[in-house]
Formats: sequence, C-alpha cells, structure tokens
Amino acid sequence: MFKASSRKFALSIFAMLACGFFSLSAQAKLSEFTLQNGLKIVVKEDHRAPVVVHQVWYRVGSNYEPNGITGISHMLEHMMFKGTAKLKPGEFSKLVARMGGEENAFTTNDYTVYYQVVGKQHLEDVMRLEADRMRNLQLDAKEFATERQVVTEEWRWRVQDRPESKLYQAFKAMAFVNSPEHHPVIGWKSDIDSWSLDDLKSWYQRWYAPNNATLVVVGDVDTDHVLNLAKRYYGPAKAESIEELKPQVEQAQLGERRLKMKGATQLPNLLIGVHVPTLKSAENAQQRQEVYALSLLNDLIDGDDSSILTKELVRKQKSVVSASSYYDPTEKLSSLFTFEATPSSGFSSEEVEKRFWEMIKQLQDKPVSEAALQRVMAQTEANYVYRQDSMRGQAMLLGSLVSVGLPLDTIDHWLLNLRKVTPQQIQAVAKKYFDPEKATVAILLPNGEKPTSAQQMSLQTKGVH
Amino acid sequence: MMQRVQLQLTLLFLGCLLSFQSLAAVKIQSWQTSQGAKVMFVAAPELPMMDMRVAFDAGSARDGEKWGLASMTAALIGSATATRNENQISDGFNRLGSEFSQQAGRDSADFSLRCLSREDIRKQALAQFSEVLGKARFDDKILQRERSRWLAMLKQKNSQPQVLASDLLWKTLYGDHPYAHSSDGTMQTVETIKQADLQAFYQRYYTASNAVISLVGDLDRKQAERIAEQLAQALPQGTKPKALPPVEEMKNPQTLMREFPSTQTYILNAQKGIKRGDPDYVALFVANEAFGGGGFGSYLMDEVREKRGLAYSVYSYFAPMKLAGPFTIGLSTKNASAKQAQEVVDHSLHTFVATLNEERLQEIKDNLIGGFPLRMDSNAKLVAYISMIGFYGLPLDYLQWFPQQVEKLSLQQVIDAWKKHIGKSPMLRVMVGEPK
Repeated sequence: MFKASSRKFALSIFAMLACGFFSLSAQAKLSEFTLQNGLKIVVKEDHRAPVVVHQVWYRVGSNYEPNGITGISHMLEHMMFKGTAKLKPGEFSKLVARMGGEENAFTTNDYTVYYQVVGKQHLEDVMRLEADRMRNLQLDAKEFATERQVVTEEWRWRVQDRPESKLYQAFKAMAFVNSPEHHPVIGWKSDIDSWSLDDLKSWYQRWYAPNNATLVVVGDVDTDHVLNLAKRYYGPAKAESIEELKPQVEQAQLGERRLKMKGATQLPNLLIGVHVPTLKSAENAQQRQEVYALSLLNDLIDGDDSSILTKELVRKQKSVVSASSYYDPTEKLSSLFTFEATPSSGFSSEEVEKRFWEMIKQLQDKPVSEAALQRVMAQTEANYVYRQDSMRGQAMLLGSLVSVGLPLDTIDHWLLNLRKVTPQQIQAVAKKYFDPEKATVAILLPNGEKPTSAQQMSLQTKGVH
Repeated sequence: MMQRVQLQLTLLFLGCLLSFQSLAAVKIQSWQTSQGAKVMFVAAPELPMMDMRVAFDAGSARDGEKWGLASMTAALIGSATATRNENQISDGFNRLGSEFSQQAGRDSADFSLRCLSREDIRKQALAQFSEVLGKARFDDKILQRERSRWLAMLKQKNSQPQVLASDLLWKTLYGDHPYAHSSDGTMQTVETIKQADLQAFYQRYYTASNAVISLVGDLDRKQAERIAEQLAQALPQGTKPKALPPVEEMKNPQTLMREFPSTQTYILNAQKGIKRGDPDYVALFVANEAFGGGGFGSYLMDEVREKRGLAYSVYSYFAPMKLAGPFTIGLSTKNASAKQAQEVVDHSLHTFVATLNEERLQEIKDNLIGGFPLRMDSNAKLVAYISMIGFYGLPLDYLQWFPQQVEKLSLQQVIDAWKKHIGKSPMLRVMVGEPK
C-alpha cells in the first residue's frame, strides 16, 4: 500500500504480518465466514475498549486498471461519498460523524478500503450505510466534475510538487514493463483528465459486489451477532460475475535500467530496485521459503537502528544522510526489493550506489551472524504483542491478506517460517536476487535553482473582515 | 496510499488537542518521586507490555540564541553514555525487542520506551533507558556527523513549500518570542552549536524536578512506583526553569507572499490562539470542530472542497501550548485558484457564526462525546494523553471533565468564545507558491 505516495510513508505489510501473529493465534477469537452471495467475512473479538472497527475491502485497485483509465479506482473511492438513492452527497460522513465515528477510505494497487471506527452500539448503523453504497451509489455528473478537480489538486500536492514522488513514479514505471505495477495508484495525469462518467459507472458496476468484497470487523463485539447483522444488511446484495485479474507476470529483466532526472530539490535521491518473489507470486514451496529469507534480509538491512544501513552507511561511512530499504512479501502480482538513499554532501549518488552493492556483496560472501538474526527475531516477537494495541492495525492486516488472496493462517505460520530461516538461506537469496546487471536505478539531482531568498514581499495590509 | 483526504496532519493535532475519555474505568494516578519528578500512571493489564514517556521542559523555547540546541540535545541522547557507545545502546534496546525514541518540540523534549512487561525484559530495558537519560554523554564526533545530517535536512526544507510556509508563519506571528523559531533551528544557528552547549543544556534542563514521567501498561502501583523512582534517581534533582516571556500579539494584520516554483500555492492563515488551561478552550474546540477541525462536514471543507473543488485538504486548529499557541487555517490549491481560495477562507471566517445553530451544536456534541472511547482505545494514545495532562498541569480528572464541559455548553457560549478570540487578534496570511 501507500504506493502512489512517496515510499517514505511506506508501511510494510510485513510489519503488520509480523505483528499480528500473537493476537490472532493464541489470545483472541478470530472467525471467517462466507455469505451465500460470496461476501467474505472476518471477525475478530477484542474487548479492551467499547469500540468497533468496521471495514469493507473491495478487490480492485490500480493493478486492475487498463491504460487510459488509470487512477479510476481511486476516483471511484472519492465518489463513494457522493450519495445513494437514500443518501445525499456528503450525508454518509455526516451521519458517521454524528455517531462520534472516524471514517475514511483509501486505495492501493491491490484493493480499495472503506472504514469506520465507532462506539460498539453503532455497528449496525454503519453496516446499514456501507451495505447501501455497495450496490446503490448514485453517480452524478456535477459531483463528478467537482471531485475530479479535488483529485487533480491531490495529484498536484502528492506528485507534481514533490520531485521525490515524481522520481518514484518514473522508477516504478521503468522497473515494471508489462505488469500493471507500472502505473501509479493516483493514475497518469492524462488519464485523470479523461475519465468519463460512464467509465466510472461501469467500473463501479464491475467490481463493487459482495463476491468481490471482504467485510472485516474487529472490536468489542459478539461474533454471532456480527454474522447475523451482516446477513441482514449485506445478505441481500446481488453478486456479479467477477473476472479474475489476468496474471500479467512481469517479464524477466534483461539488463540494467537507469534514469537520471533533475528536479526542484536541494538534495539528490537514489533508488535501486531488484525483482523478488512474494508469497503470492512464489511458484513453489522452495520459493516461498525464499520470501521469508528476503523478509529477514530486509530487516537486517533496515529493520532498526542496529541495522546495516544505520551502522555502516550512516554511522561508519557517513556516506548517506538517510537510507532505507523496503520489501512487501504480500504483494499480489510482483514486488521490488527497493533501496532508497539521500547521499551526504561529498558523496555522489553513484558512489552511494557502489556502497550499496558493497554491502550486498558482504551479505553474499558471508552468512549473517546468529546474534543479528536473534535480535531481529526478538523484535518480531515483541511486535506481535505491540500490534494488539491497535484494533485498526489488526483489521488492516486481516483485510489485506484476504484481499490479495492469502489465507489468514499465513499469520499463524509467519513466525514459525521465519524461525526456520538459516543464515545460509539469507546468503543464498542475497546471491540469487541481487544482481547489479538486473537492477533498476533512478537518480534525482538538484536542478541547480537556488532557493528563493528568505525575504518576503508584503502585498497588502488589511484587517480581517 | 491514496486516501480520500490526507488526515495525518489534522489527526496529529487532534491527538494533542482532544483530551477526554468516556470510560470512568481509566483512572489516572499521580504522585511525586523522592527526587521531585511528577509521575502519571494508568494500569492497563490487558496486554503484557508497557509504555513509558518522560517529558522535560526542554523544548526549543529554551534554545536561547542557539536555535536547534534543544532538538540536537534530544537527538543525541541515546548516542553515548558514560559506559556505552552508540552501537551498544542501539543493540541493547533492539535485542530486547524494545523501542526507544525521542523528540523535541517547542515546549517539551519527550523520550519514549515501549517494551514487554515481562520482568527480565522490563528490568533490562528500564536500566538502559535510565542510563541513557541520566548519564548522557555528548561525543564530539557524533555531534559533527549529526550536525551535517541536520544541515542537509535544513537545506532540503528550502524545497518544501509547506514547511517554508509554516516557518514563516511562526516567525512573523511570534516576532522576538522563543516560540518564533523552528525547533529545527537554522543553518546558521546549528553551525554554532558546540559540545559544551549540549552538555550545559542537558545539565540545566534534564533534571528530576523538570521531568514528568508517564507510565501505561501491565504494572501495579508498586511496580510503577519503583520504575519511576529508579528513573528519577538517575537524574539530578535540579530546579524548574523560569517561566517563558509572555507572547505579544502581532501589531497589524499582514499578508506575506513568498515566491516558490510549485504548481500549488500553500496557504496558511493564523492568529494568536490560546494556551493550555484557558477557560475558553472547550468552547473554542467545539466551535472549531464546526469551522474546520471536524474534517468532512466542517464549514471550511464544505465551502473550499465540496462546493468548489479548490483543494484536497483544508483544515483549522487551535494549538494550545504552555503559552498561547496559534489558531491556524491551512490549504493548498493550484496557483490560479489561490486568490479565490483565500477569498473563500475570508468569507467563511466572516459568515461562520451565522451558520451555527442548536442543531449543528448538537451534531458536534454527539460527535465529540460519542467519539470519546475512540480517542483512548490504545495504550499508545493513553500514554500521550496522560503525559500531556501531567506536563501542562491539567487536573487529573481532565478526561472526565472535558466531555462534561462539552455537554454543558450552550450555543451562546460557543459563539461568545469564538467572537472573543477569532478576528480580535490581527490575522496573518502566508502564501508560498506562484499565486495568480
């Protein structure tokens, strides 16, 4: 998730996975159902506060979009607040506000999610509202025109005025040629300008149906009661015939890909990505085991301030102002292991790139220490407990797994699978997947414009009226 | 993540502002350690973990001439002690699965520890936390390294129009006051910070009598007492620092424009707001929920975004601090709409009171009172609230008191409070971009 915005906001699903285990396996009641119309339901009881998290996850996002209408899943998400046969535009939010609820929605490459957090007495109310807009959305031309402006402002704010976001979009587009990971969640600007109301209507018709959705409820609830409510409110929704997303397997990368761009930044920025498998894309048990090794490798490189990036690049070499790595082992289609850095003054991006490959070489040449592995495992285990402090986080983890088509017991097996990983296996994945000749590299350089002077001109002086 | 609206900023502020709780079950206990540190404690036995936060009156308002000193001191605490070096400290926390972090704002410097409450883990984590806070050492080599990273960050600020707008706002609104400069300092002032400055700042402000220790977790009162005592014992007793100078109002309304090569203009409007504990706070908070604090459904959101499509995010908030923090309105819009958006904001300020009525007030009350449990549904949120209550000296029943006050407010009281504060102080308008 968080794909379209800067990766700096990236919250790895791995972290969520890691954190969910304890709560889900041992301590709390977790149940799974499917209604006759195909709606999947996941309920987790958590009785610490009289609060409930209610989420509906649709299996649609930018990975489902063909060229020409990229970003339409996100646009539809905005329009879901614009009224149904029963509700006026904006009324949904006002009703939830009146309950004292929090509500919002978000779109990623793999799914679109609507959520409310309310006092437990309001679960039925939000269910009634959410079920209503699953099939009865009214899409109005005037609201559509205004909201396109809002989304365009969002695009300016998120992408156009942030050189690092533009770099990341270009990087992704270069790393993925035939996979829909190529295009950004917010869509290409030309597509944002060109969606029609009919595009939106057919997108809604095609994907917003109970058999393409998962209901997640976490909180101070009784599971049977939730199931009864769900049957009452979501049960009548009619199923659609939903096409499976085509595999669109990213073709093998034939050689290095490289981009250098200039932008309105003061500091350079470097991105390096290599293609790696995920739990979904893994072809067999052996490759799934590699996914666990890659997860641990990511943690060893950048899991904490004892990691290699902090100790070596930041503290010892002083070659970077900041650096991070990112890997999401639960992507639906494909994944990149991504390294990001801001070089220190006196270090070129190319020099930092070299340091990155030197670090990788060491991981390829020598197994990591048992102590480092134990440290990472201690954190993973502690995180299982910490994760239970947030009901929202628990709901996010459950919904994301179901939405990419991974079983819920992925969480139960996660820690066990990590524990099986040996230093030699980590060394092996470092050798197998990290090849500079199969890497995608993107570099942002300052365009040389001097920052404007700190002086301001005073345009006018007048009182508030 | 593409979200319907970016709420990070507003939620962050709400997190600091909203301070209530409907559950009578949340009982805050408070006492002083023998060294004079104030302790705030809530027992939360449900999960086998604990959160601890130590807040010092050592924010950037205490920087003096060396802007950035408070932040740099906080950042370097945890980088060396009398007996451990940087990597040993990191490894020490990380191998326990514990999390250590620090942050300095204008009022306070805050240090957090999260760990499992199991005794062997807790004792080791706490021993190291106490050592890091009580026996900090400022290594000159680390200072040099962190300074150059800091300077790079300050340089990068020049390519972030939102940050430029915010810095300009504080600088103009607060003039010569210690709140005026950013906690980050400037490139010039950060250059002047020396090892001895850090040492002196640390000795002056990192003391027991200047600390508020907050604890939430699977602990009983006795354990909490021992933990707080151990931490306070690691600190010198010290004395409380002097009060900050009073905030003076800006003399005249101003509109400042800073050219920046962006496609949007970043607009902030601000005026002097209120301090923590202000008797009008609850009424203003309620009024602002209706104006621009309440997200979708608020007046600003309707006028700027929903009706006109001018912005993705638009918000307003009060930021009560030790002294009067600002009341701020913010949005960003394409350059060609900047003037129109500012006019809509002006018009909204002008017409807002007339939109308030009994029904709207009841909606806000329902939202705030009904939403109380959500604000307090995790240990992480709870520790932030009790730390805030302790640091600002708010009453221990604040979490019960606040919703009761909301409930009692009449429409007239809300309107009177708004009129008393908003529009009375000169308003500052800041625009960064290429407004047309």
